[in-house]
Amino acid sequence: MEYAKDFLLKVHKELLETRLMEKKLTEIYAQGIVPGHIHSGMGQEGSYVGVLSTRKKGDYFKFGHRPLAANYIVGEPMDAFFGELLGKLTGNALGHGGTNHLGRLQDGVVGFSGSLGCDAGVAVGAALTIDAEQRDNISYFFYGDGTASRGPVHEAMCLASCWKLPVLFVCENNQFAISTPSSYSSAVPNPGADRAAGYGMPTAVVDGTDVLAVYEATQKLVDYVRAGNGPALIECKEYRWRGHFEGDQCAYRDADVTHKYMTEKDSVALFEAKLLEQGVVTEEYLAKLREDFDKAMDEAIAHAVEAPAMQPADIYDCLYA
Amino acid sequence: MKVTYAKAIGDALKEEMRRDDKVLLFGEDVAQFGNIFGITRGMLEEFGPKRIRNTPIAETAMVGAAIGSAETGMRPVLELMYSDFALVCFSEIFHCVAKWRYMHGPEYKLPLVIRNASGSSNGAGPEHSNCVESLFMHAPGLTIVTPSCAYDAKGLLKSAIRSDNPVLFCEPKLMYQQKQEIDDEVYNSDYTIPLGVADVKVSGSDITLIAVGLMVPRAIAAAEKLAAEGISVEVIDPRTIAPLDKETIYASIRKTHHVAIVEESNLTAGIGAEFAALFQKEMYDELDGPVERIAALDVPIAYNMDAEHYSIPDVDDICRVLRTMH
Repeated sequence: MEYAKDFLLKVHKELLETRLMEKKLTEIYAQGIVPGHIHSGMGQEGSYVGVLSTRKKGDYFKFGHRPLAANYIVGEPMDAFFGELLGKLTGNALGHGGTNHLGRLQDGVVGFSGSLGCDAGVAVGAALTIDAEQRDNISYFFYGDGTASRGPVHEAMCLASCWKLPVLFVCENNQFAISTPSSYSSAVPNPGADRAAGYGMPTAVVDGTDVLAVYEATQKLVDYVRAGNGPALIECKEYRWRGHFEGDQCAYRDADVTHKYMTEKDSVALFEAKLLEQGVVTEEYLAKLREDFDKAMDEAIAHAVEAPAMQPADIYDCLYA
Repeated sequence: MKVTYAKAIGDALKEEMRRDDKVLLFGEDVAQFGNIFGITRGMLEEFGPKRIRNTPIAETAMVGAAIGSAETGMRPVLELMYSDFALVCFSEIFHCVAKWRYMHGPEYKLPLVIRNASGSSNGAGPEHSNCVESLFMHAPGLTIVTPSCAYDAKGLLKSAIRSDNPVLFCEPKLMYQQKQEIDDEVYNSDYTIPLGVADVKVSGSDITLIAVGLMVPRAIAAAEKLAAEGISVEVIDPRTIAPLDKETIYASIRKTHHVAIVEESNLTAGIGAEFAALFQKEMYDELDGPVERIAALDVPIAYNMDAEHYSIPDVDDICRVLRTMH
């Protein structure tokens, strides 16, 4: 497929920013300034950005707990992003939600349940609004291979297909539910795609480390969903580079395999090599992009560190509308 | 006119759907079938299949769909059929509905109602006879409403649908066919009853009796019976269980200095347990005796009807306890 340069630059920028942000999260966690856990999304940038490259204004997003950078990519300002992560009043949820609850409704982010999968129906509900308002938007539901086992996910697929709603289910198969390999939990090789037939959904399985392959496979399904044909499902195969949370030593898996994925299936490095080869970007451009983004993040983190936190008198704020 | 509780619920739904096209209704068997109690009959014909939707038996997704549609601009009314089924989507209500706004920020609002047919109904058995209010009182963020008559049911449901906060709306099944005389003009006047406001159903001076849902008519009957014995009982229906209208209740306790709570559900960790703890803490100086709790025995509600009736408080059970307080 031929792409316009602007499109390639946009995809690359989002891909690189997702990587840099996920890396930064691990760094500030190591510094001890993050009160909660960090579930690094390194290794899943290609699939998220590939899928999100099909989005348009008015779409809704139910993201997973990694990569958190997805919330920034669709519009959350860095100050609100890092403010929430550090539990400050400048965060989108005043510090009540933290690491699992970043994002803003005005960007289409519909929220997240820390009891993974309990929020599957939320994406269906957002699609119900789209249907009621007769818009050609869609609702994206990102979930992992671990969450693929949960009943609420299957109930959401059942309801979305029954009501023929515009939902794109995105199974992020990073191969591990904390320590449990997907091959143990699932009797089929593709815990997303292989089960979709039960709900009459068209599917695709794609290499999640190839951002353009993800985009192309997703776009076909998105066209189908936007046209009012009902839900569809894409499964992205990838590998979680780091542990479930920071501090996880990953003793349950083969470090050589991890190393292989990190060196041979690095979605950012692979895409940048292609763009350099095609003359779309230069080394100087890449270096500046990295430097500018890193600086912007450091500034936002400094703001978040200095930002005020909730006081005891504020504890009931935002409980009721 | 004579109005049944079921008709009042149905009329509230229809009036709100006519008033605001953002109001949607979905649940198991609510469309062609008109709900298992007939409450939504005719609504599919009037409002069409986009606004009146049957669901598969998928409660977790139904609650999620209520959240997702509410936060993005709709006003969904979700019908869970039996209250007992609220437990198959407990996490979605307890973690998601109740906490969603608090944990995502002030931009997020959930104008949704979860209706459920609650409590015993003559032989429905252990898994179709439960009241769930006390289970969800433990979830800050939820508004819990249990109306005890047709007039209240209509006004409260309309307020619940117009509220920007999520409401768990419990409808005692045994009340559905109860009739109430309501002035035609009043009934058709688009009246609402504010959430969070209790109602003094019977005025009295000796004992304050807080009664919930199905227990309200029994409490009123007990008050009438005890009046003949010279005991004056003030019956208060909180109507909204959470947040509680403490002002109305405390004004009564300041007058009577004795208080009892009667509920249809099991005694242990019930509504009365929480209310009693609250009253003894906040009204200690006003109380001249222990707060009494009248509730179902701590057993599952049996299928055998005699056992069912024996385990749930009736008028005589209420009178027996109240006499000991006088």
